[in-house]
Amino acid sequence: MDYSITKFLWSLLGLFIILNWGMLMSSTMRRVGARLAGRIGVPMYQPWIDLAKLMALKTWLSHGVMYYIGPVFRLVGGVGMFLFMPIIFGSEIWSNYSFSGDLILLLYFQSFGMLGMAMGASDSSSPHASIGISRGLAQFAAVEVPMTLAVIAIAIQHQTFSFNSIMEAQQGGVLNWTIFTNPLASIAGMLAMLGAMSHSPFNLVKAPNEIPIGPPTEYHSSFLSVLRTNSAIIHVVEAALFMNLFFGGADTWLMYIVKTFFVYFISVFVGMVFPRMKVEDSVRWFLKWPTAVGIIAVLVAAYWK
Amino acid sequence: MDQYLGQVVMAIGFILAILGLYGLLSQKNMIKMILGFSIFTTGVNIIMVAIGYVKGGTAPILDAEGNAVAKFVDPVPQALVLTSIVIGLGVTAMMLAYVMKLYQDKKSLNINDYKDLKW
Amino acid sequence: MVGPIYIIALALGLAFFLGFFGKSAKTLSVYLMLAGLAAMTCISGTWLSAFIDGSVSTQEIYTAGFKPPYSINLRMGLEEAAFTFIINLIGLLGGTYLFQTLKKAGNAAMSVFIILIMSLNVIVMTRDLFNLFVFVEIGSIATAGLILLDKESKALQAGLKYMIATGVISGLLLIGIIFAYSFVGNLNIDAIIGANLAGTTAGMVAAFLIVVVLVLELKPFPANGWGLDVYEAANPGVGALVSAAIGTASLFVLHKVLPMAGESFYPYIVAVGVITFVGSNLVGTQQKNANRLLGYSSIGQLGLVVAVIGLEPVLGTSFKFIAFALIINHVLAKAGLFWISGIIRKANISEWSVLRTKPALLISFLIFIFALIGFPPFPSFFGKYQLIMNLISSDNIGTAAFILIGSFAEGIYMFRWVGDALKNEVAEDATESLDCGKLNKVLPVLLMAVAVVAAGYLSIPFVDGAYSTYFIPLAFIMFIGLIDSFLPAVVKNVVSIAGMAYFTYVMYPIIEGDLMRSIFFGIFMIGGILTLIPGFAKKGKREGFYPAALLMYAGLATIITADNTFGFFFGWELMTAGSYFLIIRGKRSKAHAYSYMLFSVAGAYLILFGFGFAYQAIGSSLLEGLGEIKLLPTLAYTALAIGFMTKTASLGLHIWLPGAHGEAESDVSPMVSAVLLKAGVFGLMLLFLNMGDNGETILYVLGWVGAFTALMGNLSATFQEDAKRMLAYSSIGQLGYILFAISMMTTLGWLAGFTYVLNHFMFKSILFMVVGGIVVATGTHDLYRMGGLIKKMPLAFIAVMVAMITMAGLPPLSGFAGKWLFYNAVILKGWYIQGVIVFFAGTIAFMYAYKMLHSIFFGQLKDNHRNLKELSPAILIPAYILIAGIMYFSVFPQDVLQPINELLVSLNLGDTLTWAADGNATTVLSNWNGNAVMIIIVTTFALVLLYTMLITGKTKKLEQFNIAYSAERPFRPETTHYSHNMFAGLNKAIGFLVAPGITSFWNNVSTMVMDFAGMVRRIYSGNGQVYAGQIIVYIIVFYFIALGK
Repeated sequence: MDYSITKFLWSLLGLFIILNWGMLMSSTMRRVGARLAGRIGVPMYQPWIDLAKLMALKTWLSHGVMYYIGPVFRLVGGVGMFLFMPIIFGSEIWSNYSFSGDLILLLYFQSFGMLGMAMGASDSSSPHASIGISRGLAQFAAVEVPMTLAVIAIAIQHQTFSFNSIMEAQQGGVLNWTIFTNPLASIAGMLAMLGAMSHSPFNLVKAPNEIPIGPPTEYHSSFLSVLRTNSAIIHVVEAALFMNLFFGGADTWLMYIVKTFFVYFISVFVGMVFPRMKVEDSVRWFLKWPTAVGIIAVLVAAYWK
Repeated sequence: MDQYLGQVVMAIGFILAILGLYGLLSQKNMIKMILGFSIFTTGVNIIMVAIGYVKGGTAPILDAEGNAVAKFVDPVPQALVLTSIVIGLGVTAMMLAYVMKLYQDKKSLNINDYKDLKW
Repeated sequence: MVGPIYIIALALGLAFFLGFFGKSAKTLSVYLMLAGLAAMTCISGTWLSAFIDGSVSTQEIYTAGFKPPYSINLRMGLEEAAFTFIINLIGLLGGTYLFQTLKKAGNAAMSVFIILIMSLNVIVMTRDLFNLFVFVEIGSIATAGLILLDKESKALQAGLKYMIATGVISGLLLIGIIFAYSFVGNLNIDAIIGANLAGTTAGMVAAFLIVVVLVLELKPFPANGWGLDVYEAANPGVGALVSAAIGTASLFVLHKVLPMAGESFYPYIVAVGVITFVGSNLVGTQQKNANRLLGYSSIGQLGLVVAVIGLEPVLGTSFKFIAFALIINHVLAKAGLFWISGIIRKANISEWSVLRTKPALLISFLIFIFALIGFPPFPSFFGKYQLIMNLISSDNIGTAAFILIGSFAEGIYMFRWVGDALKNEVAEDATESLDCGKLNKVLPVLLMAVAVVAAGYLSIPFVDGAYSTYFIPLAFIMFIGLIDSFLPAVVKNVVSIAGMAYFTYVMYPIIEGDLMRSIFFGIFMIGGILTLIPGFAKKGKREGFYPAALLMYAGLATIITADNTFGFFFGWELMTAGSYFLIIRGKRSKAHAYSYMLFSVAGAYLILFGFGFAYQAIGSSLLEGLGEIKLLPTLAYTALAIGFMTKTASLGLHIWLPGAHGEAESDVSPMVSAVLLKAGVFGLMLLFLNMGDNGETILYVLGWVGAFTALMGNLSATFQEDAKRMLAYSSIGQLGYILFAISMMTTLGWLAGFTYVLNHFMFKSILFMVVGGIVVATGTHDLYRMGGLIKKMPLAFIAVMVAMITMAGLPPLSGFAGKWLFYNAVILKGWYIQGVIVFFAGTIAFMYAYKMLHSIFFGQLKDNHRNLKELSPAILIPAYILIAGIMYFSVFPQDVLQPINELLVSLNLGDTLTWAADGNATTVLSNWNGNAVMIIIVTTFALVLLYTMLITGKTKKLEQFNIAYSAERPFRPETTHYSHNMFAGLNKAIGFLVAPGITSFWNNVSTMVMDFAGMVRRIYSGNGQVYAGQIIVYIIVFYFIALGK
């Protein structure tokens, strides 16, 4: 185990890159969305401006201790996910702190930020926050079913939960990617991703029309900047997770950027096409088709070798 | 006829006992039921006597010749019958006492009127 | 030594003599009668002690100077001495109890009373068949006389029915006797037995008549309506005599004459007994009248002993002990209950709550009921254990099963009664009818209660595996019970904690070195002490709480330390009884405690049934037998598994739990949830380790059951509005995980299981303690009525938050260890789909974790909670000790899991886990370093927090309503607290999964049983003639079944 300062600084650099890539990616997607809607959209640097503005706005209003700590939890969740997953396959310096655990750790650490944020938002006493959270949790539970099935199918296929081993198994050509070697698991996993990314049609957590932006509803200025920072990071990290599982991982930063963009684009693209679902509908949906595919994937992986 | 006497008496005893039981089970009037019961015990007693019967037997008293031992009518059933009659008397008396008390209570002798306790 | 003949002489003389006493000296007469009874008791008592010493041998007493067959002879042996002693003692105490009644009724009644007791003595001692008949008749007439003590119409009717029935019975007996005589030429019972009547058809008919008629004296189901009526209508003092004294004598007679019918007849007697035991108890379930209920129970218990008598050839050397234990238990308990009934004078059992005004009687009542059901430490427990062991050892599995079913049916009404007595409202005028002013009424009851405990203690040497050390904690509990009503709760709490600590210290060496037992022992004992601490926050005396809690913990400790099935079962039942009394203390717990008890008793009997097979396998009670079962292993293991699963509340057997845990007192919930449920887990682990190859199918099924239990428990918890019920459902879910984990039967699975066991113990203790405290403080169970309490109770919040994060399995806390192990175990085991269900359950757990945290601590503070303060240190201190435990486990998981891992490897469970020196755990699939995760997360957290503080600056707190609520300013907290039906969407989507199907299933089962009982009991039409007819039909049917071929 390596707790050295060099390691720390490399990881910090990686985090910085990913943060900026995340912001760039989000402005790109906003522009794509705007073009689809016939608008021009924001300038590419808009996220940086927003972030700088929010950071600069000092706040002196807080609803309580948990309210204060909520964004911290959220950001720790995002950063932690980043830290527990290797960035570049085969690279020691870009392996982060992935030695402390593997896919399972990551799956559960996802929830760390969520729960902290949920508590923080709840502390604001705004019913909008808790409505959003309750919807989010319900959907999350449903999304986890195909997700878990996909993960299990992959674990059976590769007999490992380790990111490195999963990526290793996918090296040596596009056809070795899980999406081709285990298409059913990949379909289940990618459908789950749509839910995990919380874009339309599964964006009922923030549902801007009915419960103005949900959990973060009471967060403003610098608190919001922390949340924005996190969302930039987490979008990339989530995309990277699916990239590592299904698309062979990345052995260079270029591949990393291309593949995460592609994975992220899928979710945004679907979001452009489909309108938002109600909670019960999205829960049912995830427990129906993606789950069915996932079960078949697991059975195929287990018994049809 | 003589040699069947024991069996005939026993048959009569059984018939009486069964008749008595039938009476006990079929009559709704409690006095009649008790009569049935008495007939039943009488029948039982007759059966007992019949069991002890020895053809041409004598009373179980030792005489001078000493051959009475062979010709004894078994004394035990007779003793038993005596006891049994006494007990039957006691039971019948007790039942009648109960019926009397019950009649004082509800002015009815019909057994169907005394079903306050059930299930 | 005074000759036994003087018992008879004395009684006859006295009865005669009493007749001369005028009506003026009634008091003196009663005293004389009692003196006579005391003398009779003394005579049989001295004989009994002489026989026990071995200083005398069996005596034959010849009357009139001749030997049989020319005279009637009596016998005085150990058995006769014991039985006459019991009868005379019941006579003496019963006479004492009836003092006023007898005095009022006059000298004639006293004569009848003493004649009845005398006749019973003769019935026991005589070896002459006709003499037997005479005294049976005398007994019947005397009984009919005593029924007249209460000159009510009902008593009269019952008396007449009794006379008719016994008249018919004795007439038939006479026919049997005379034919037996005619074939054998002798009336001596031993001579008739020696003559082998059964050898000829006609002889067999005679023997059949004699035996069946004597069976009918014992009121076999269903030809027993006349007996029931007597129990219901007669003075309870007479009921006690009929049940205890006459019943005992009749049993002895049956035992005496049964050999006449030959070996081949015994099974029919067993059938008669079992049918009576099951039938009578089953029909009794519908009964609400106390005395009649006691009648059903009496008939049932006598039926059980009849079955045991029929089993004599099977039971061999254990027969005498089993029969005597069951008889003495029945006599003491039933006489006591009838006498209590006479004091209470409430016909309907629902009015027996008035007992609560008389603690001594209440405790006696409870002792009697628990003795009847066969709980330790009462003699029937010993007897039933040995009976079942012997039955299964001799391949009488069906008989054993039916006896257990009958016992369960008895529990159905007995525990309903207990519940009524403990929980129903006491009507204001209820105490007016009480008749407990006189010592002569209360004292016999208390004596019986003491005697039944003592009889239990005396049973120890007769049962394989029973040690007197099991009684040590019981003695301590009795001591606590004695000081219970004098001292305040604080003192008792200190004494209890000290007692438990000392007990732990003393007992630990027994299990030292056995890691699995040590873990559970630690959970039970440390958990016990920690969960007792919140009791310091309670005021008043808390009568009954400490004996119950200690009883439960004593039971739990015994389960762990026992090396044999007897000890295990002893502990199991103590624990069940203790937890029942704890659970029923809750305000609205009556129904829930009742269903808890029914499931527990059924489960316990299944366990006993399974243990029988282990006993059969090795011929002793050692636990090793569990691994050797060769006879019907699947049945045995399934029974054991289901038995244990009633305690782990697995799917299908869980319906008792939410109410029982949810409605329990605030400091009882952690005891029964966090600690108690682990007993079931321990049992299952013990079972699984022993099942071997026979258990594979069972394990596979249990894996599915565990998975669905987890899903159902968590999903139900999510939809709860009641805080404690939410936690209770959560327990079901967590226990589902544990069941699933240990069903995998791999090292990783068991490690996950142990992790869950430890975690659940810690976080559920914290949650129930703290949430329980909050429920008390806020005065509501409803989550949506709480809110905003983080401002009032920050320490409580932190405790709940830590516990919830542990429960949800989030890294870096120890809950994640369980999840990680789970994933590995599932993949390696190949239980994928089940695993997915479990993981789905895990994410659902998240939702109620949030709902609870949010609804209690966040959102809007209610107006009526503005003055609340932080919870009492009595709650917070144990909670924080447990948090320290969670933290230690989280930071150094290897310290805990590595030794367990080694244990599991030594148990050959395969799939190992390796630990590196730096705390990195590796399986073939995966790695995880709990230590590193903790360091990374804590560091990241600190840095991010620092960053946030840097960019936010100093903040000021906003007011409660100062929120952006659609641009409105809310002014009522209720309208702005989003909690009720929080997961409506999820409920719409998959709520149907937790529709209460299982509850309605059990409701239907119970309705069916009740309806069936209600239908069957219509045979007791109340018509004396019908009853006599039933007797005849019974004999005819019996004849065709037994001799018809």
